[in-house]
Amino acid sequence: MMEVLHAGLCDLVMGAARPGFGALGVPAGGASDPAALAAANALVGNIAAAAGLEITLAGPTLRFPRGATVALTGAPFMATRSCGAPVAWNETLVLAPAETLTIGRVESGCRCWLAVQGGLVVPEVLGSYSAFPPAGFGGYMGRALQAGDVLAVGAQTGEVHVLRATPPAFGSMRSPLRVVAGPQARGFEDAGLVSFFSKPYQITAATDRRGLRLAGPAVAYARGELPSQGVLPGTIQVPPDGQPIILGWDGPVTGGYPVIAVVVTADRARLAQLKPGDTLRFVTLEVERARALASAAWIIEELA
Amino acid sequence: MVKSDVYPSPLPPAWQWVGERGLRVETGAATLAYYESLVSQKLDEIEDVIPADGSLLVVLRYGGGVSAALRATLNTPVMEPPSLTGTLHVISAEFGGGAGPDLSELAARARMDKSTYISNCSAVEYRVDFLGFQPGFPYLSGLPEVLQVPRRKTPRGCVDAGSIAIGGRYAGIYPAAGPGGWQIIGRTSSILFDASRDPPALFLPGDRIRFVPL
Repeated sequence: MMEVLHAGLCDLVMGAARPGFGALGVPAGGASDPAALAAANALVGNIAAAAGLEITLAGPTLRFPRGATVALTGAPFMATRSCGAPVAWNETLVLAPAETLTIGRVESGCRCWLAVQGGLVVPEVLGSYSAFPPAGFGGYMGRALQAGDVLAVGAQTGEVHVLRATPPAFGSMRSPLRVVAGPQARGFEDAGLVSFFSKPYQITAATDRRGLRLAGPAVAYARGELPSQGVLPGTIQVPPDGQPIILGWDGPVTGGYPVIAVVVTADRARLAQLKPGDTLRFVTLEVERARALASAAWIIEELA
Repeated sequence: MVKSDVYPSPLPPAWQWVGERGLRVETGAATLAYYESLVSQKLDEIEDVIPADGSLLVVLRYGGGVSAALRATLNTPVMEPPSLTGTLHVISAEFGGGAGPDLSELAARARMDKSTYISNCSAVEYRVDFLGFQPGFPYLSGLPEVLQVPRRKTPRGCVDAGSIAIGGRYAGIYPAAGPGGWQIIGRTSSILFDASRDPPALFLPGDRIRFVPL
């Protein structure tokens, strides 16, 4: 059992994505860095798709009346345990009965993931445990956690291996985000294209799992209105005001704005760590080079 | 590009990459026929197929490539559009008043009285071309030209669930309450999307809809 004493800014129960319902208007969703959630699950002996928490910017205070084996991956947050022991990231943590885990503000980056041995018990909706708050389904009651919520935890194996995970080399957060030119890239005015691929853009406050709104040099589309087309997370649309929007994990499946570029899948985990105020730049890759980029793997090993 | 006005075309559809996992396929009037053909083949490398306005997005599994079977489909000329075999839904709806706050203005703009406007809306059979924007939101083609009208300049902060609306050449119905920029003409109490239902969406691509004013 896991009790929520204080809720964070947006604590969402997340597991695997639910691809395959795009024709019904349902995005695939799921953890914004699936490999990081899978690594947290591996640290507690869960299968990769077990339900855990995706925590954004400021985290919750959680109490485990019967104790728990947990792990945290992703961006480092300030965090404390009621027993006084340090809260290590990327390691198996064994919490004693009645221990409280307090996850405060993020230190750098934006999101972290918490796995609990046995997994959080929530109903499977359309093949996934992941919350989709825009339509109010999935996860825990289709919404972010609130103080007073009590979540069931699946049966624990009882066996605890203390493991350590090493995240893949991420590349510097300062290096440009790699994109493939979008289907309408040629319809943009030259000046805007040059700005887009050379100038920094800032992430604005109007940013969530549906989309990351950018502010920077305007990018003008030189052609008329476009029929709606299918879009993916990482698609960068440009509305008439010329300020690009990077579609997120819970974004719409179709969009009517021209697409200037699409973030390569290997850099999508970096999108999950961008927060309002951060700046970023873009660099283009050919499709073939983007396809050759293997998503680097986490390494999990027994802690000596 | 295959356009519906030059249909039927002997050419295979043009396609472009959308990132390294998406293929945007120009399917014109044959979008749903292509959609059904791709989905029925159950190709391993395809994670999802999303129909839209005259195009399809084929989403490949991460690390997957374009197989010979997919390439062959992409090289097949655009087929005959399917005969309208989708389910016909008869949707009761309240038009105008609080349920359709933009109806009076739109009727005036179309130089009709309200009851003529409403009978024009409900005289035709609409087709679900695709779903998007929100889970279960249908893009309905078949709107008479005289009723077509651009989106509102300023979107509403909150539109009621079940609102029937017009945006350009499409009619649509908002499954859930939320912000929306289309012109609201009426409202239905039908539940358009329920994740616990099978299928969760009331309307599927290719289905047909008639409105019956309450």
